[in-house]
Amino acid sequence: MALRYRILLAVVTAAPLALLAACAGGGGNPAANPAGLPAGSTASGASIPATPAGGPQTLSETGSTLLFPLMGDWATAYHRQFPTVSITTAGTGSGKGIADASDGKVSIGASDAYLSSGDLVQNPTLLNIPLAISAQQVNYNLPNLPAGVHLKLNGTVLAQMYSGQITSWNAPAIAALNPGVSLPGTRVVPLHRSDPSGDTFLFTSYLSTHSPAWNSAIGYGTSVAWPAVAGSLAEQGNTGMVSGCKATPGCVAYVGISYLSKALADRLGEAQLANALNQYELPTAATISAAVASFVSATPTNETISMVNGPAAGGYPIVNYEYAIVRASQPSAARARDIKAFLHWAITTGNAAQFLNQVRFQPLPGPVASLCDAQIAKIG
Amino acid sequence: MTVQSPASRAPSEPGGQPPPASGGPPGPSPAAPRHRVGGRLSVATTPTRLRLLMVTLLAASLAWGAVTAWTVYEHASAARDVVSTGEPLSLSAQQMYRSLSDADVTAMTAFLGGPNIPLAARQRYQADIAQAATDLSELKNAAGAGSSPALLTSLAAVSTGLPVYTDYVARAQTWYGLGSLLTGGSFMQVASETMHLTLLPAARTIYAQENAGLTAASAGATGLPWIVIVLVLAVAIAVVLFRTQRWLWRHTHRRVNYGMVAASVMLVAGSLWLIGAFAVARGDLQQGVGHGSAPAETLAQAGIDTQQIRGDEVLNLISRSGDATFVQDFDAVRGKLGPGPGTLLTGAAASSPSGAGAQWAAAAARDVQTWYGVNNQAYVLDAAKRYSAETELVIGSSASGSTAGFTRVGTDISRAIAADQVVFQANATAGENAFTGLEAGIIVAAVLMALGCAWGLSIRLAEYR
Repeated sequence: MALRYRILLAVVTAAPLALLAACAGGGGNPAANPAGLPAGSTASGASIPATPAGGPQTLSETGSTLLFPLMGDWATAYHRQFPTVSITTAGTGSGKGIADASDGKVSIGASDAYLSSGDLVQNPTLLNIPLAISAQQVNYNLPNLPAGVHLKLNGTVLAQMYSGQITSWNAPAIAALNPGVSLPGTRVVPLHRSDPSGDTFLFTSYLSTHSPAWNSAIGYGTSVAWPAVAGSLAEQGNTGMVSGCKATPGCVAYVGISYLSKALADRLGEAQLANALNQYELPTAATISAAVASFVSATPTNETISMVNGPAAGGYPIVNYEYAIVRASQPSAARARDIKAFLHWAITTGNAAQFLNQVRFQPLPGPVASLCDAQIAKIG
Repeated sequence: MTVQSPASRAPSEPGGQPPPASGGPPGPSPAAPRHRVGGRLSVATTPTRLRLLMVTLLAASLAWGAVTAWTVYEHASAARDVVSTGEPLSLSAQQMYRSLSDADVTAMTAFLGGPNIPLAARQRYQADIAQAATDLSELKNAAGAGSSPALLTSLAAVSTGLPVYTDYVARAQTWYGLGSLLTGGSFMQVASETMHLTLLPAARTIYAQENAGLTAASAGATGLPWIVIVLVLAVAIAVVLFRTQRWLWRHTHRRVNYGMVAASVMLVAGSLWLIGAFAVARGDLQQGVGHGSAPAETLAQAGIDTQQIRGDEVLNLISRSGDATFVQDFDAVRGKLGPGPGTLLTGAAASSPSGAGAQWAAAAARDVQTWYGVNNQAYVLDAAKRYSAETELVIGSSASGSTAGFTRVGTDISRAIAADQVVFQANATAGENAFTGLEAGIIVAAVLMALGCAWGLSIRLAEYR
């Protein structure tokens, strides 16, 4: 009988204890975490289609007036190669291009400046993808200077000209940079953009790097509070800058390099600008490429980088990537494919000399183009 | 005590069977006695009934003990988790967010201050990054396969993104040191965007997840279902014990069965202890949550929001490649932060009006309005492109500037959180302590119950040998 009780007791005890053990061990979730880590994007260009989706499609582009002439050439050539795709372009200024792309009003926004943090916070899906390398020259209207003379200017002097501290072209500060040049006493007329502009961002960046006084008082941006200078002018777009400067003797203006031919044809002077090593350079293919070379390996994966006043010897100081602003998330797979195919075409076929030479742009270096492809692959 | 023979106590029972009695013990009805028929065992005999009763009561006692002990263990574990795991992890997540945000603001402020970064700023930045890494390590170690995918994904995002962020900051400082202000600035912008778009959102998710874990642990410690179940079981066993004793009482000439009485006493004592301990723990934990961790969580959210406003306004100083600003975000976050009905700061201040935490929360609600005014002014200057004045207002050392305003609000919130955490810690610890010894006590009570039943019924059973 005693044995029977012990057996019974053992059985009765074992069941609850087994239950207790099961419950105590039941805290773990037997299901493995299905999410795991987020998949990384591949940098392979293999996922980028070489051709558009097929069927009639229209891509729209607005933005940078500096990129506008090239974008027009690309649109024509691309339509010739892929007749089903039409591309409309408009030189509205970088700010509007970014806003239009962010709002989904256009397929591509074009900008001389990379996206601002405010743009990204408002729309984190935006990508800025370089399409080519550009530069910005400083033009002036001094018709009496001898042909072939390119005045030397630096950021400090330009900042003083735009601040109203240098009021005539024969001021000692300018003369000191240009020994042997007979400078006229013409009044300096600073000309700046009236619209928010990537060109203004580049130019004021250059002034800020050279002039601490400008940096602390005015700073840099797509728009700045220009100092009140008697007689100063404001124009819209690069076309307005060139025509405004042409019409105003004594003018000094910053203009995108795709308008250099037009500026020279209008008999405007082209300045040599001081780089970080105090070397004075004109924006040539060699000086632009030299300047960019020092930034190629430094370009981050999202390709947001300022290349103004770089450290390269013989480099031109105001160079930049011309960006396509695109939403990573497109309304349809066909639209995404068309945009990807066109952007990839632009940084490959479109970077050929036959297109870029006309606007004096430079092609993207290989490593930068690879970063572009990695970003293009994110569009979906 | 006189022991009567079964025959003398149950003369009318042929074969020693007691007569049927109204209100008899549980089991087969005496009105339908079963005998061994065709080899089947009859349960109508008294010894058989006693044996069945013994098995039933032993099983019920031990099962009740096991289930109750497990319930106590679960509640005590949950209470212990609240104090020792949930709260510290929630604090680590909160601290990680604060460290990341402060690192970014410190790096950006130092960058905007000029190429010669002060040693104090370098040390503060490095301390922030080290603290964030430590907190991240703790949080990763605590996370397991059972953690939510959102938590694991966010931990991975911070783990991957933190070295990317610090690398961008280092590159920004290198380029700045080389004299390339704008290149350094663009790297600083990319760094800060990494912080704003990747690290801080992930850190916020981690905090939310850890806080949800704390809430779940609190709910586990104060939840009613299993307590109700074991008490219902106790009542059911008590009924069986009562009816068994009444049956024995009637069939043993009203003799007290001390074994059964002892079992009943153990059941009542264990149940009362359980009820008392649970009531105390539940009250303490609910007090701790209501007046401690809940307002502290609200304030932590408020702290995160103030850090977001601060981070945005500092990033806005350097991000000038477009016209978009953070002013819309500022307005949205301000609306959530308060003060005002349904806002974080007002809610925290109202949680326990007499408490120190609530008083500091009320101070934060006052100071934040002054700070809002400075922020508004900064965004007006930004819109007017008066970058120099904006920079001075946002990162300058003036007592009326944004740095001072943010510091005041941050201090208010930190003190409020500290006060609320004292309340929580005291109550949660008291709640945890209420379960001390209960699990062992329940097991002992259950074993004694079983022994009491076995003893009481075996004495009766022995009378039939």
